[in-house]
Order: sequence, then C-alpha cells, then structure tokens
Amino acid sequence: MSDQKKQNAGLDTRLLRRIVSYLMPYKGWVLLAFTTVMTAAYLGPLIPKLVQITIDQEIVEGDLEGLQRMIMILFAILAAEGLLSFVNAYLTQWIGQQAIFDLRTKVYRHVQRRSLRFFDTRPIGQLITRVTSDVESLSQVLSAGVVTILGDLFKLIFIAWFMFSLDWQLALVTISVMPIMIYATFWFKRKVRDAYRDTRKQVARLNSFLQEHVTGMRIVQLFGREAEELRRFDGINDDHRQAHLKTIFYFALFWPMVDIVATIALGLVLWYGGISAMAGGVTIGVLIAFIQYARQFFEPIRNLSDQFNTLQSAMAGAERIFGLLDTDMAITEVETPAAWAEVKGHIEFRNVWFSYDPETDPEEDEADWILRDVSFVVKPGESLAIVGATGAGKTTIINLLLRFYEIQKGSILVDGIDITKLPLETLRDNIGLVLQDVFLFSGTVRDNVTLRNPSINEADIRLAADAINATPFIERLPEGYDQDVRERGMTLSHGQRQLISFLRALVYDPRILVLDEATSSVDTETEEVIQQALETLMSGRTSIAIAHRLSTVQHADQILVMHRGVVRERGSHQELIASDGLYRRLYELQYKEQEAA
Amino acid sequence: MHSLRRLNVYYWRYKHLFIPGLLCAVASAVFSITVPMVVRQAIDSIPRFVTTYRAFEGTPLESYVYADAFASLATFGAIILVLSLGSGLFSFLMRQTVVVASRHIEFDLRNRLYHQLQTLSHDFYLQHATGDLITRATSDIEHVRRYIGPAIMYTTRAVVVIIIALSVMFWISPKLTWFTLIPMPFLAISVFFVARMVHNRSDELQAQYSDLTSRVQEALSGIRVLKAYAREESEAEAFDGESSEYRYRSLRLAMVEAAWRPVFVTLVGASTVIVVWVGGSLAMTGEITIGNIAEYIIYVALMTWPVAAMGFVITMVQRAAASMTRLNEILDARPSIDPSPEKGTLQLDSTAVEGRITFKGVGFVHPNSGVRALNDVSVDVPAGTTLAIVGRTGSGKTTMVEMIPRLLDVDEGVLEIDGRDIREWPLESIRSAIGYVPQDVFLFSDTVANNISFGRMEAVTEDVHAAASEADLLENIEQFREGFETLVGERGITLSGGQKQRASIARALIRKPQILILDDALSAVDVNTERTILGHLREHFGKRTVVIVSHRISAVQDADQIIVLNEGGIIERGTHDQLVEQHGFYASLHHKQQLEQEVEAFE
Repeated sequence: MSDQKKQNAGLDTRLLRRIVSYLMPYKGWVLLAFTTVMTAAYLGPLIPKLVQITIDQEIVEGDLEGLQRMIMILFAILAAEGLLSFVNAYLTQWIGQQAIFDLRTKVYRHVQRRSLRFFDTRPIGQLITRVTSDVESLSQVLSAGVVTILGDLFKLIFIAWFMFSLDWQLALVTISVMPIMIYATFWFKRKVRDAYRDTRKQVARLNSFLQEHVTGMRIVQLFGREAEELRRFDGINDDHRQAHLKTIFYFALFWPMVDIVATIALGLVLWYGGISAMAGGVTIGVLIAFIQYARQFFEPIRNLSDQFNTLQSAMAGAERIFGLLDTDMAITEVETPAAWAEVKGHIEFRNVWFSYDPETDPEEDEADWILRDVSFVVKPGESLAIVGATGAGKTTIINLLLRFYEIQKGSILVDGIDITKLPLETLRDNIGLVLQDVFLFSGTVRDNVTLRNPSINEADIRLAADAINATPFIERLPEGYDQDVRERGMTLSHGQRQLISFLRALVYDPRILVLDEATSSVDTETEEVIQQALETLMSGRTSIAIAHRLSTVQHADQILVMHRGVVRERGSHQELIASDGLYRRLYELQYKEQEAA
Repeated sequence: MHSLRRLNVYYWRYKHLFIPGLLCAVASAVFSITVPMVVRQAIDSIPRFVTTYRAFEGTPLESYVYADAFASLATFGAIILVLSLGSGLFSFLMRQTVVVASRHIEFDLRNRLYHQLQTLSHDFYLQHATGDLITRATSDIEHVRRYIGPAIMYTTRAVVVIIIALSVMFWISPKLTWFTLIPMPFLAISVFFVARMVHNRSDELQAQYSDLTSRVQEALSGIRVLKAYAREESEAEAFDGESSEYRYRSLRLAMVEAAWRPVFVTLVGASTVIVVWVGGSLAMTGEITIGNIAEYIIYVALMTWPVAAMGFVITMVQRAAASMTRLNEILDARPSIDPSPEKGTLQLDSTAVEGRITFKGVGFVHPNSGVRALNDVSVDVPAGTTLAIVGRTGSGKTTMVEMIPRLLDVDEGVLEIDGRDIREWPLESIRSAIGYVPQDVFLFSDTVANNISFGRMEAVTEDVHAAASEADLLENIEQFREGFETLVGERGITLSGGQKQRASIARALIRKPQILILDDALSAVDVNTERTILGHLREHFGKRTVVIVSHRISAVQDADQIIVLNEGGIIERGTHDQLVEQHGFYASLHHKQQLEQEVEAFE
C-alpha cells in the first residue's frame, strides 16, 4: 500500500516536472506572473489585519476620522489586488496557451510521422483524443496551474504569518484542524485520480465508437443493424455514465467535508478566543480578523485541491500523451543521410523478408512472413508488373518501397542507395503512388490534386488532366476544379475519384511511378485512355504496377509472379508464357474465359 | 432559450431525483445561512462575559462565572458544528441526486441522439462532417448536462441563501444593508456583460475546436496519401495554423474571464469594507453591535459564491442553449428516406420479398452537386434472375443500385419491388431482404468473425465459416494466426484490398438475401478468385435476384440481362450474345478485351 503510494507520488512529480518543462521557453513571463501572484497573495490577507486595526483602534475608540482614513487605505488595497489579479490571470492564460500550442503541434507532428504499422493497430478516434482533448486537459495546469498553486501556497504562508503575529495561541487553535483537512484532501486525491482515469478511458471509447459508426453508418443501415448497434452504444454509454457517477460520489463527499472542517475552525476560534478575551489577551477586532482568516485560510486549501482535480485529469491525459511521445514507433531517419545526387530510378529488392509483426524473429522459419526472400531489380526507365493472387504480398512490396514499414531482413536500394540511408521525404518525393483505396480530403478538386502544394501551377494540372482525359469529367462538374468534393469525396463516383488520384500522381511528376491495382475499377474505355497516358508517362520513368488484369501488365519489361510472399516466376510476358508455369495458368484461365464467351 | 424546452420531459422523468434534490439544496442553504446568527450571538456575549467576569474577579464566584462562560462559548461552537454538519449532509444528498440525475439525462440524450443518427439518410452525412457530429454527441451534450445539473442546483441554493441573508440583514439594519448592497448592481451589470462576451467568444472557440478536430481526423484517415506524397510538413503547417487560431480565440476568451474574477472579488471586497465603514459608524452610535459587523462580514462572504454562481449559471445556460440548438438540428432532422410506408400499409416481413425489381422511367439528380445522374431508366428484373450493369465512370451505375436498398430515393419515375412501389414497403423489410456489397469497403475495427456476422446477428460459427468459404476467404482466414478472431485494423487496413472486399462479400452472403447487389465488388480480387466466387453465386441462380455492376466482361457475361449505361441513360440492353451482336458499346468493350487476349496469344 505505502509502496504503491510512494510510486504514485514519484510518478506525479516526474510527470509534473515534464509538464512544467513546456513552460521553460516562457520563463521570463512566468517570473512576472509569479511576482504579480505573490503581491496579490500578500494583499489579500492584509485586509483582515487592517480590519482588526480599524475595529480595535478606531471603532471601539470611536475615532470617526481615523475610521475614514483606514477605509481609504482598504479601498486602495482592494483596487491594487484587483488589478494585479487581472494581470496575473491573463498572463497565466497567455503563457498556458503558448505552451499548449507548442505541445499540440508537437504531438500532432509526432503522431503524423509514425509508421503505418502504428496506424494499422489504433483506432483513429483514440489518436484524435490525444491531439485534442488530452492536450486540452493540460491547458489548466499549464496556464493557471503552476502559478496559481504557488500563489495559493504563499497565500497560506502569509495568512499563517498574520495570524501568528496577531495571537499565536489562537493561531495554533485555528490551524489544529489542518491534519483533518490534509487527510481529507489526500483521500480525495487518490480516489478521484483512479476515477478520472476510468472516466477518460470511457470518453475515448465513446469517441471511437461514434467515429467509426458515423463513418460506417450506411453499412449499419444497409444491414439493418440499428437495434444491435444501439444496444452496444447503450452499453458503452452506460459505462461512461457509471464512471462519472463514481466521481460525483467523491465530489459530493469532499465539498461538504471541507466546509465542515472550516466551520469547526470557526467554532474553535469563537470558543477559545472568547475565553482568551476574558483573560484580556484577545480583542474583539482580533476575533473578527480570525473569523475572516479561518475562512480565508481554507480557500487556498480548497483551491489547491481544486487544482489537484484538474491536475488529476491532466495527469491522466499527460500520462497518455507522454506515453505516445515516448514510444517512438516512427521510422527512424538516418542522421547523416546519403547523398542522392542524380535520381535515375534504379530499384533493387535484395533478399527482403517482411512480417507485419515487428517482433518476428528473422531466424524463425515458422513466422508469419508476408514476404520471404524477395529479390528483383528494376532498371531506370523500365517497368515492372507484379501479378499474383490476393494476399500474395503485392501491396506489401509497394509499402516497403515507400518505407511505410521497416523490413526485418535484407535491403531495398534505390539507385544503389539503401532506402534507410535516405531522408524519407526525399525518397517519397521521387515516388508517385496511386492507391487502390482512393482517399480524398475535404476541399476542392484542385486541392485534392495538388494536396495544397503551392509549387504546382494551374497549367501543370490542366496538362496532366488532358493527358489522362480527365478534363471532360472535371468540366462537367458545376464548379469544375473548384468543386468541393466534401468529406472523403463522397459526392464523386469511385471512378472519378480514381481519376483524381491519377491526376495527383501525374502533377507531382515523380521519377518512379507506383500503381497499386489502380486501373482495376476504371472501366475499359477510361482505362484505355489512362493506359495511353501512362505509357507516355512511363517513358523515362521507372514504374511498378500491380494489376489483376493481365492486359495491363503485358507491356511491362518485367513481370514478377508472387505467390504467398515468394517470387515464383519472373521474366517478360513471352518468356513466362513459354515457361509453362503459374503465369501461364493465370493467363490461360483468362484467355479460356474470353474464348468461352 | 427555446431550444432547452425539449429537456422538460427529462426533468419530469427524473422528478424522483430532482424534487428531493432541490429540497436538499434548500435545507443545506438554510443550515449554512444560520451560522452567522450564532456567530453574532457569540461575539456579542463576549463583552458581557468579560464585564461579568471582571465584576466577580477575586470573589468565590469567579470560577463559577468562568465555567459558565466556558460552557456557553463551547455550546456556541457545538451549535455551529451541528449546523455545518446538517448543511454538509444535505449538500451531499443534493449532489448525489441532482448531479446524478444530470448524468442520467446525459445518458438518455446521447442514446436518443445516436438512435436518431442511425435513422438519418445518406444525404445528411454528406452535409455534416464526421468530426462535427462527434463534437455534438460529446461536448455539446456535456454543455447541456451542466445546465441540467449544476446550473439548477446552484441557482436553487443561491436564491435561498440570498433571500434569507437579505431578510436577516434588513431586519438588523436597513441602512447598513443598503450600503452593503451598493456594489451589487455593478456586480449584476458586469455579470451580464461578461456572461454575454464569454458566451460569444466560447462559441467561436468551440467552432474552432471542431475545425481542429476535423482537420486531425481527416489527416489521420488519409495518412497514407500524406506520407506517400511527402506532404506531412505542409499538413503539419496547416495544422499549426488551426492551432494558432485556436490559441488566438482562447486568449480572447481568457481576456474576459481574467477580468471577471478580479472585478468580482473587488466588488465583494468593497462590500466588506463598506460594512466595516458604515457598520463602524453605526456601532459608535450604538445602533448596532460589533457582533453585527462580524455577522455581516460572514453574510457577505456567504453571498459571494451564490452571486458568482449566478454569473456562471448565466453562461452555462447560454452555452447549453447554443449546444441544444445544435443538438436539436440533428434531433429534428427528418430522414429524407421515410422509413414507414406512405401509401397503403404493407405489413410484410422480409420473407415476403420475392425479389422482382422494376425501374420505371427512373430519374435522379444529385441534391448537392445538381448533377443529373439518371435519366428515364426502365428495366425489369424478374425474381431469381441476374441483371448486370456496365458503363463508363460516372454513368450512374452506383446511383442506380443504391436505389434498391433505398440509400437514395427516385426523383422521377417509380422503382418497384415485386410490383409495388418501393416506398410502400417498410424500409426494414426491403433492407433485410438485401445483401449489399458497396464499392468502398468499410469494415469495423472488430474481429473478422464479427465483421462477417455483422450481416446476420443470429449467425452461428458454421454460418460464418460457410459465408467466408463462399466468398473464397476461408483459406486466407485460416492462415491468420488467430483465424476468425483476428482483429481488423480500424479501416481493415491490415487486410489486403482483395481480402477486405471478400470479407465485405461474406458479410452480404451470410444474410442469404433474396436480392444480392455487388457494386463493382470484385475489382480488387484476381480473376481466379472472381471465378470461384461467381461460381458459388451461380449455385443460387433462379433462387436469388442478383444485380452486379462490373467493368469485366468475365463477371457479367452470364447475366440474364445486361444493360449499358451512358450519362444516366440505358443505351444498350440484352443478353451477352445479343449485345455482342449489336456492335455497340458492349460489343466493342468485349471485342477489345478479347482482341487483347488474342493478339497476345498469337505472339
């Protein structure tokens, strides 16, 4: 128990220190905020002290002039405190927002640059939560948090100092309830921390579910699963509610408890103070000052525990954010990248082994290999076609060439340079990719073609559009290139989206062109147009194409026949037909079908 | 504020929590407001004790007087303690009822919202970004909840505290009370303005938060494209822009909020000083006691939080009203596809659908883009036969098949199922008779087995295996380490395109549907697999109506009838043999595919 407590506490300070480190760039401003908060912390407790003087020296003595003088001083102090609090409150927010901005953009960049392996296994909703609400939960700590906590601590010290200077015995009596207060606060802290962790987990679950079901709503509706999905949602929603109900319970218990302890202190002040008054040690003014201090004293404590609450939720959020930042599954970029002086487009796979499970032991034969010992060479300007059954590993080859995943064994070379020695951006800049899952972003057709790259001009786009004969379809759209495609291009047909993704690849004018089953869902007419465009495009470029239809691969300089992750056959179309193997079987199958018609 | 009226029904539903809860709020307030009166009595008694004590000093009664004072003061302390225990107990009960009820309502409201989302048709989702809908289901509901629970709780408590405190204060000294209240109008005015500014600015902030979320959501969904085109840096910069706008709006809001608290504290502090000032003068003339000053100071302190709470409550209510308006937008949205029959009242279950599909002069214009997708399309598909649709990109093939499960409704003409207007059928019976394989594969991040049995909930393991085998996916699944229990990544990304497509086919087949629709559903599988799957489908010929959209002759040639669409209209129709004879689009398509093969064969 105590061990675990220690561990928790240790974790807290480490986390906290790390959160606070985001304030370092603004330390000058933080210092200013401290100064203002300290001054305000002194002025607040000064007022009851002055009230005491007013009562004992002016009111009891009946000095009306003195009373008015004291009142003016009190007003001046109030105004000063107000002004300082404003400056402090805005300043801390300003600092916090700067730090949050830094953190948010850092987390986003971190998430974005991770390898696809990471995205394969995590619901996007969860990642969105990290970048948005988890970061948001830190904003309180980063803005008000640290400064306010110190401000409150000093307020406590100043109040204690004033109390002891007025009457140390009465001060001791007032403070005697402190242990109860501290115990209650710590009990609360522990309980709420666990409860918050659970709450946040439930919020994330709720988000993931909604995200997925809103995106896939038509599937839910088509398959008449509304009732069942509502039942599942009900369950998740209920867990979410239960988690919150638990926190309500602790809050409901904590707030009255703080109040009761504060009132006990008040009762003690009246009792002990009254008795001391009889002995002549305590004046009425001192008693009234203590009544105010007894209340004031608990306000910072209450605030501190309040800060604890935000700190709790922030800690839970921070743990998750730092957990994300610490496990860097991004493709590591080499520190001194190799020079790639002239991009020719020579591609070589040398004994490549790959599994989607990064833990796979290269020595183990039984492992879940997607690619086994794959080797091939594509010379500059040549074209390679990869054929094979689905699941043979064709798409994987493309993913590996773009370095979306790291291989376990072997090497991939571009112009003789290992791709791990090249900056990722340079590598991918020179490879144009057309995916089978066309993904469009919300925005105009133009935005989707250029991906908002300002260096691509209008003429390039039109030229490329003409080349693949996409111009007629785009011009048919009411707003042409400025047509908003809406989220994920839902207003466009699949073929139209495909054409846009073709355009995208063409305007980027890469040295290496990669096509992943892209032509398969464009109809034959369009495909023919594209085929021609690709032929012109491919001349002088290295290309790798995956297509199921043999007709699209027959023009390739080299064909790779994949089967269960292994290269079974390779060669030109004629050579492969002559060799009477897997390729020939695939080929005859299609041929016979055509003949039977 | 009108928007919040919808919540009344929920208050009524949870009245068994709200009524006792609000009574507890009142009780708690009464207990806590009594404390200052006891304090005044205690303080005023002290000079009396001191005088008495001095009078009896040195006499045998001295210790008796001391004991009396000691006991009296201890009694005052005890009373204060008891009062605060009472206040605490009721405040605990208040939170445990009112706040709990607000969570119940939040739960109901969110369920209701999700239920509503499920009834809304495709066009609704075209108009609303996913991120925006999620924001509504989460933070907007949270805003409404704060209004339901905390806002009402604080208001009740505040009203009680203020009324009692003011009554007692006026009873003691109207003059002192008026002076004490001087800062209050300023407080009220500043609360009003501050709340309005906070409201507007937090709305702007909220909107920006939605944009930020949408941006992340989209970038991460399209991460492959971003990476492939090395656009990460420019996307990150765009994200910086959104974050920086968010920071700007946060600070605009922070400015108001930063001003709010000092203004408040200063005004309340001014009240205290006025109490000392005016109260001091009055005490000098003997109109009130010094104990009254202490009492007033506590009243002012006690009123601080309720008055502040009122300021927050106004903001909460305004925020809640804005959020509720956004929620009502969804809750009041009518599905453009009316699920219940318009004319006639067919009360048929799914088995009643035989599967005849008839398009009669059907036309359709996309509501968003205004593009005409279909024009006067007529075709009759008798039950148990197969219709194949071929045509260029954008010729209207998908639009046509999306009308069968009523993802879209016809704009012109009629679509009939078994000779009856599709709109006369209950939506549920139509959809339960259909197995649909869309062009874009969407799988849930769940196991392979659950994704397949998604098509039919009551399916047992054997059914799942059978469907997987029919879709030629069984062999692949058995190679997975965890077989059918393998988890599919969020968008099914660890499966290859062909595997995803076949999982999607299995999901449709497990329904053993009367009508099977394959919208270009074999595009990512190779010819061999396509043949196997089509072979399996052939076993059901005559028993099942099949509509197949494809670009491959091999996939459509066996269909009972084939139609060729061009710019939304049918330009050719017939069987494969007839169409080949016609020397039109289909024949040339066929010819081209055949020729390619022949040419290569002769090489």
